[in-house]
Amino acid sequence: MNVGAIDIPMVRLLVAKDWKLFEKQLAAYVLAGMVALAFLGNAKPWSFYVGSLLLLIVLVAAACFSISTSLLVERKEQTLGFVMSLPVSPLDFYVAKLAGNLITFGVPFVVLSAGTVAVILLTPLPDGLLVFAVLVFGHVLLAYSVSLGVAMAVESEGWNTFVMIASMVLVNPFLMGIGQIPAITDHLQTDTIVLSAPALAILAAQALLSTGIVVLTGWVHCRKKSFY
Amino acid sequence: MQAATATARRHDMDSLRALAMLAGVVFHAGLAYSPMVQPLFPTADRGNAVVVDATLWFLHLFRMPLFFVVAGFFTAWLVERRGLAGLFRNRVRRILVPFLVFWPIVHLALTRSTLHAAATVEHPSPLLQWVAQGQRDGELPGAPLATGHLWFLYYLMWMYVLVWCLRALTSEPSGSAAPAWARVLGRLAALPGWVWLLVLPCLLTPSLASVTAPHPAPESLLPRFWAFGFFGPFFAWGYLLRRHPETESRLDRNAPVLLVGSLVAYSAWFFLVSGRSVEQATASSSWPVALLGAFVSVWMTSVCLTCGRRWFGRPSAPVRWLADASYWIYVVHLPVLFAIQYRLMDLDWGWSLKYFVALALTYAICLVGYQALVRHGPIGWLLGGRSHGRRVASSVPPVPST
Repeated sequence: MNVGAIDIPMVRLLVAKDWKLFEKQLAAYVLAGMVALAFLGNAKPWSFYVGSLLLLIVLVAAACFSISTSLLVERKEQTLGFVMSLPVSPLDFYVAKLAGNLITFGVPFVVLSAGTVAVILLTPLPDGLLVFAVLVFGHVLLAYSVSLGVAMAVESEGWNTFVMIASMVLVNPFLMGIGQIPAITDHLQTDTIVLSAPALAILAAQALLSTGIVVLTGWVHCRKKSFY
Repeated sequence: MQAATATARRHDMDSLRALAMLAGVVFHAGLAYSPMVQPLFPTADRGNAVVVDATLWFLHLFRMPLFFVVAGFFTAWLVERRGLAGLFRNRVRRILVPFLVFWPIVHLALTRSTLHAAATVEHPSPLLQWVAQGQRDGELPGAPLATGHLWFLYYLMWMYVLVWCLRALTSEPSGSAAPAWARVLGRLAALPGWVWLLVLPCLLTPSLASVTAPHPAPESLLPRFWAFGFFGPFFAWGYLLRRHPETESRLDRNAPVLLVGSLVAYSAWFFLVSGRSVEQATASSSWPVALLGAFVSVWMTSVCLTCGRRWFGRPSAPVRWLADASYWIYVVHLPVLFAIQYRLMDLDWGWSLKYFVALALTYAICLVGYQALVRHGPIGWLLGGRSHGRRVASSVPPVPST
């Protein structure tokens, strides 16, 4: 991959285009995220439940719509044809999509995860919840990376929809699964943050897989002479 | 000519912002002599008086609302001049960075001085006694991580995010009619003044009814619904004033009536609230108290805007200098004030003399510090930009600090 070959001004324009297309949805997610954080901040059982559910919905929706708007709709509405008519290489295109998605998904993801960490540490909620919350955010990040990788590599709308839904819905069995690990659940109701070996192993796997998928997708994409 | 009017410096708004900030020092200094917050305020003195409560809580009901009107006004101005991206670039430099720089310093200074006072003051406040007991027992919990008196900077950033959200959500494809948010503002601006004066307080009432009376400062790091519900409409009011300048003077002729009305409403509010400490107050105030408080907030803010236009509309070098200094004074005043008031607690002076000395010394230290260390140095640039301290004679309007 020749990084020096990246046409930075063109990448900026492509990112700006994606930002413009996604801005309205992103604003809605940020607004919903603020509402979710305010619910969490009430530190009452019902508002914690509503807030955490809303937070999860916002994250999953932001992940799916970000990919859908920047990649799938682009193909469906034939705007990719227009983009291909510009002096853009597959590498420019990949970098623009990656940067665009890092903004459209990464910003709400970082803000909401930081907000959740703040809620857990600064309110009467047990601090032990932190490990559980970080693992859930790790899963959403992994699911997003898988969906992004598939969307970049596979043209089929059906497969993309399937992967997006499946990877995000897997959060349920994931929650059930980590709920069965005593090293993680034993400290949920306490104020002690225990990064047990299983928790660390899951986190490491999530981080490695997420990074690996993004890198692999980039590598495959950049070897292409044409877009698809 | 029209363009010149649109970009002309608004001395009245600059001055009102400065007054709102400088009044914050008066408010925080007075809390030490307020019977109502006696159990909860670290510098609570042996001497206190109901007259302090009667004055302070009146100020409290419109000081920050006025500040948010001014902030909304300057936000609309920045968006006009620089666009949303420019607004965020500027606000990150002038609001977020100063907040991140000064917040830990102020937090640390307040914590250290309070711990020192708990160990040394001979006539401690109930809160200092509790801290001292915790120190003796070794069970003193750490100071809660909150934004403290800098909460308004934190909420301003949220307000800017909300401005972007609302504009993005209601924007129309380019080339079409005016965006929905602009049409809504236009309709609101077209409403008669009396509708504003009667409807706006009713809209604010649920937010005030959900918290104690007097309303607390939303110092938590997590956003609070009530704070957006109460301060948000004031911010929107300021935004509207900039977008529709024709609305500015609409309420001017009502100012005397509004002032009298506010004093009557506040008397009723104070009668219902006084005689109990904040500690005894229930988690939420009653609806009549909230409604009265909302009316005072809106009407007095309107009176202040009128007074600002009448008295501070012309350029004045001393006022300009004070306006430049006000941001710095507000940011650093609390550690200075507390350090002074902790030392005054053991003196056998009357509360009024202590109040005067604490105020005078705090203003003096902050103003001298501003002129000597801040105005022409990097802290001045941090708080007010590169043009800070050299703009009295300038005809080009500077970018507002807050």
